[in-house]
Order: sequence, then structure tokens, then C-alpha cells
Amino acid sequence: MGPLVVNELISENTNLFLAFIIGIAFGFVLESSGFSSSRKLAGVFYGYDTVVLKVFFTAAITAMLGLLFFSLFGWVDLNLVYVNPTYLTSAIVGGVIMGAGFIIGGYCPGTSFCGASIGKIDGMVFIGGLFIGVLIFGLGYNLWDNLYMAKDMGSPKVSESLGMSDGLFALILIIVALAMFTFAEWAERKFPREEY
Amino acid sequence: MKPRILLALFIIPLGLIIAAVPQNKTRPYKLTANEMLNEANTRTQFVTSETVADMIVNKDPLLQLIDVRSQEDFERYSLPGAINIPLPDLLSDQYADILNQDVRMNVFYSNGTLSANEAWMITRQLGYSNNYVLEGGLNYWFDTILNPQKPLSTNSDEEFAKYDFRKGAGQALGGGAVVQSEQTQTGSAAKPVVKAAPKKKKASGGC
Repeated sequence: MGPLVVNELISENTNLFLAFIIGIAFGFVLESSGFSSSRKLAGVFYGYDTVVLKVFFTAAITAMLGLLFFSLFGWVDLNLVYVNPTYLTSAIVGGVIMGAGFIIGGYCPGTSFCGASIGKIDGMVFIGGLFIGVLIFGLGYNLWDNLYMAKDMGSPKVSESLGMSDGLFALILIIVALAMFTFAEWAERKFPREEY
Repeated sequence: MKPRILLALFIIPLGLIIAAVPQNKTRPYKLTANEMLNEANTRTQFVTSETVADMIVNKDPLLQLIDVRSQEDFERYSLPGAINIPLPDLLSDQYADILNQDVRMNVFYSNGTLSANEAWMITRQLGYSNNYVLEGGLNYWFDTILNPQKPLSTNSDEEFAKYDFRKGAGQALGGGAVVQSEQTQTGSAAKPVVKAAPKKKKASGGC
């Protein structure tokens, strides 16, 4: 059956419309869970609030289990699901830049829009910085396109690289995530802050 | 109960299940009868003998010719670089990797087009892409590439270009034609030159 677009069960435009609805729902949930507060988001680096880690890992695990079970029931063909290609160098460099920006600005791109939409000025400033970054990357593309395109690994899956089945890797990831949640909550007790 | 314990109680069993069951490797994607008819009607599965000849002569690594006739026929005559997958063995596991891939262009051929088309329909129904059929089969191959008929002098230049290409390819592939067509004959044409057939037909005639 799925993916719906690839198998032409829905059109490209319907797909975009669904993405729009899901995006709004995502933004709403994000805001109502307090993700529009840069102090809460930055808390994950200092240990006093690890809700970001917990929410996003829970989301990843839910999506992973959902896709694997859908595939098991024959509802979705995982071979037809688009996987972002991996460029190892730029993934690492980009990850470092993104992480630094996260600590300094207190937002990641999605949550900055979340904050800006309820009128938070730091969110708007963050978006301004985001566009400056986009501009610098775009205008200076010739300077770093070698770095950007280096170490093209195609679209590998971690499970394939480790030589295990998708299901086994999923189980391991679930256990790792739960262990991480326990550690995160320990950190919250260890480095508490009264108000943020 | 703590939410974390609740979450763990819920997702660990799910993880255990998904780790224990084998991966679903079957492809749910199948063509309906209507879609199949539609594909067969548009005849997109056919590649012309000129295209194939051009690819063989240029040693195009993407081309994979597949002879679906019996092994005796294959041994008696086959196209250069072809492999033999007799139609009754088409679904055997050893050929699955050849038929189901996204890189090379598989071209089925038989004497006519019937067996090759059957092979194409079966693989298409399995959801495999990149499988094609040699238009007209080997019979048409002999008529057009190995023994092309010289066009009448009243024919268009396009016909002559096609003929020259076929003749050149035919010679390169061990056919019998040796005479150059008059239209393109030059003084020092010692070696037959394989010219690529014009890919797209231009509008001919008129103003």
C-alpha cells in the first residue's frame, strides 16, 4: 500500500497538503509541551531539563516501531521510503555547528519558529541568524562544496552497517533510549534549577 | 506508575516482537490487470534493434542482453554478451539478482517477441523495473542489422542514415552487408563507420 505518493494512491499536492496539516499539528504539540522556551531547550545541555531528549527519542522510537510493524503487515514498502543520503564529513561538521548554535541560541530551527510564532523576540532573532547562515552557505558554496560533498556513503542504514536485522537494531535502540531516559532523569535530580 | 516504566512496559515487548519476527521482504507492489494492459498498450517495454546494436557496438556496460530461448538455441546463436535464462527457469532464485535490480538495462530477446514479452510481463508483474524487450526479436534483428535492405533512391535521407547505421553495426557484429549506400559513399571509405542513429526524428519535408 504505502508509501502513498510513490504508489500513486495520493497525488503530490495531496501529499503536501497532508504535510501542511501534520506540520501544524506538530508545531502545536511542540509549543504546548513548552518547546518554545529557549531555557527549557538549553536545559538538556546543562542537565536541569531533559524533556527535549526524551520527547525526540520517544518520537523516533515510535516512528521506527510504526514503520517496522507497517512493513511487517505489508502496509508500507520500506524499499520505497526515501532515506536521506549520508555525507559523513558534512554530517559531522554540520552537527557541531548546529549543536553550538543550539547552546548559544537556545533553539533548534523548528523550535525557533515555534517561539517566534508566540511572539518571543529571541526566537525571531534566532530565525534572523538562521537566514544569515543560509545566505553565507549559499554565497560561499564554492568554498566548501568539496567538504559538503565529501564521503558520500549513499543511504546506509545503521542496521545494515552492523550486519543485523532492522528489528534487532530497533530493540537495541529502544533499550539504549530507555537507559538514556533513566540517566537524564538522574541528571535532572542532580542539577536542579528552581526557575527557568 | 512512572510514565517511563509505563513506556518501557509498552515498547520493550514491541521491540522484542519486531526483533524476533523475520523481516518482510515481499513486495506488496503489484500491477493491477488494468495497469498491466495499459503498460502493454503503450509498448514502452520495446527497445529497437538499432538501440541495442548501438549499445553492443559501443560496449555499453549498462546493457544486459538476456536470451530467453532454450539452451540449445542459445548455444547455436546468441547476441554478443548475452546470457541465457530459458523462460521456464525465469523465476529460479539464481536469476533473481539479475532480473531485480535498478542499474543495468535488461533486454529480453527470443526468436520473435512472444517469449521475450512473456518474460517481461512476468518480471513486470513482480514489480521489477529495468526489463525490456528487443523489438521484433532475433528475426527482425537479422532483417535490420545483419542483413539490412538498401532503401530505394527515392527514400528520405533519414532512411539512408538508418541504413548506413544498420550496415555499419551489422558489419561490426559479423553480418554480411558490405556495400555502401551511394548517398554517403566517399572515396576513402575503407572501414565501415558505425554511426549512431539519430535519436529523435526531426520533422522531415515541408518548409
